[in-house]
Amino acid sequence: MKIPAWCTSAALVAAASSAAAQDFRVPPYQGIYQPQGVDERGLWMEADEAERGLRDSDLVIRDQALNAYLREVLCRTVGEDRCNGVRIYIIRMPAFNASMTANGTMRVFSGLLLRVRNEAELASALAHEFAHFERRHVLTGFQRRRSASDLLMWTAVLSAVAGQPNYAYLPLVGGVFEFSRDQEREADILGLAYLKRSRYRPQCAADVWKRLMDEADASALGRAQRSQRYDRVPFFASHPTQQERAGYLSSLAGAEVADRTVNADTFAVVMRPWIAQFLDDQIRLNDFGGTEYLLAQLAGGTWTAELLHARGELYRSRGNPRDLVHAADFYRQSVALDPSRAEAYRGLGLALMRARVLDEGRAALVRYLSMQPDARDAPMIRALIDQPL
Amino acid sequence: MRTPTKLIALLFFVATPAAANRLIEANRSVEIADSALEVTPARDWNRLSARPGRSAETWTLDGDALNDVTFYAGIENDRPIFREVNRRNQPLPRFSSTMLLTDVPTLLENSYRVGRGVSVFAMDRVEPMRFGGQGGVRFHYSFTAGDEVRRRGEAVGAIVRGKLYLIAYEAPAIHYFDASVEDFRRLIASAMLR
Repeated sequence: MKIPAWCTSAALVAAASSAAAQDFRVPPYQGIYQPQGVDERGLWMEADEAERGLRDSDLVIRDQALNAYLREVLCRTVGEDRCNGVRIYIIRMPAFNASMTANGTMRVFSGLLLRVRNEAELASALAHEFAHFERRHVLTGFQRRRSASDLLMWTAVLSAVAGQPNYAYLPLVGGVFEFSRDQEREADILGLAYLKRSRYRPQCAADVWKRLMDEADASALGRAQRSQRYDRVPFFASHPTQQERAGYLSSLAGAEVADRTVNADTFAVVMRPWIAQFLDDQIRLNDFGGTEYLLAQLAGGTWTAELLHARGELYRSRGNPRDLVHAADFYRQSVALDPSRAEAYRGLGLALMRARVLDEGRAALVRYLSMQPDARDAPMIRALIDQPL
Repeated sequence: MRTPTKLIALLFFVATPAAANRLIEANRSVEIADSALEVTPARDWNRLSARPGRSAETWTLDGDALNDVTFYAGIENDRPIFREVNRRNQPLPRFSSTMLLTDVPTLLENSYRVGRGVSVFAMDRVEPMRFGGQGGVRFHYSFTAGDEVRRRGEAVGAIVRGKLYLIAYEAPAIHYFDASVEDFRRLIASAMLR
């Protein structure tokens, strides 16, 4: 039950060329919208309830500067009038994800912020989510699923009466997932339309998907698994393949236009205070290959003390004897660049102790404790220094 | 036609004893998960029939959402501490017999992050502690899981003959943690590693 992606891609590129001729017209904005009909009112009520829950959630990152920045990027992308219909919540979850509910609640995962490289890429993700909201995809998706399940029930009854197997369920169930993929494509295309009207470089939308494929390959390699296929649509997929998305976004973005911006520098400044925490969340996921790929992407050839430290933590957490040697080396490079990094001395000491290089390990731990005598693990580290085995 | 159907259904239920939770009586020593770990509880506990993994079991006083003690007893080298949830896409971190005691808190934290989807987890004090007559580690932590309840945890662990022994007590930070933490401390004070 796999659908070759080239069918859909070809159709999209054909649609794209006609869309390109219209220069991505964005539908007129309705202003403040109130839900219509019982279905939509119900969905909004549920979304309102879930949003009230976010007020007290420990998972929401409430930092004002970071929240204001995301809002600014969204408003710059979709326009001031549109962005007023949306509340953004940054959720501390290390996966690449964002979502949009019917009532305008946009959730952006911290894992997405760790993986986009500049403001234009962030804008493309926010624009895609906003497009779901503007096209009221939650409502139409819900109605589609409901009518499919109604039909499914009737075909089951009829086939039972007729004493025949129910052959209708496969196209019905498949249709729901196909509809979901169509919604994603529609959101991709409308999202790109916002991006084209903004000052951001629209080609960035495709870059995100290309890197996600590379990261998934690196994860698979790190787990000694085969690479996934990116060109086939599994029957139950709710989203188009990453390869398809990268392909059509890239062709729809068209030729490079002058005076477009990606704002990589501003993005880096805003994200700097968050990188350490987001990386720490990522390192703890036991995904060596994917994390190593992410670190290399973040470094871009220039390994800072912070990234070297993170790399040391990654290798030390895998903990093979060869990993401990590399980890110790990364920690040493980290403290060479920034001798005030107490945590790197801790990592160095623990990597060496585990590798049974006791004297140097003890010295590094003593150094850590002299810098952070009140650390929360100080009593245990002291015990380790006194009696390492 | 009706009576035989009912009879068959009844026989089915009688013939398949439902897996049951069990009372653990006070002042009797109990072997944990067929391992070298033995405890003698000072009060009655309930042992849940659902076990988190092959070498683990869970005890509770008021239900596992309100307070639970999970024993990870005799985890071998290259084994996760509890059952894999999604081995292919989210494999759990594995215990290694070369780990230092400071790696034990990290192993628990990372297992929760991968296997239970916990993304808010804070490690607090980590200190040495004798456990079952061995040198061990005690650590304190807090986390928020999918039900959005803030929980606190306290755990002790030791690595003995290359195997990990870990006992973790967790309860909602509001009221329940403090209410039963002393019961847990008495329980670990009674632990023996044979």
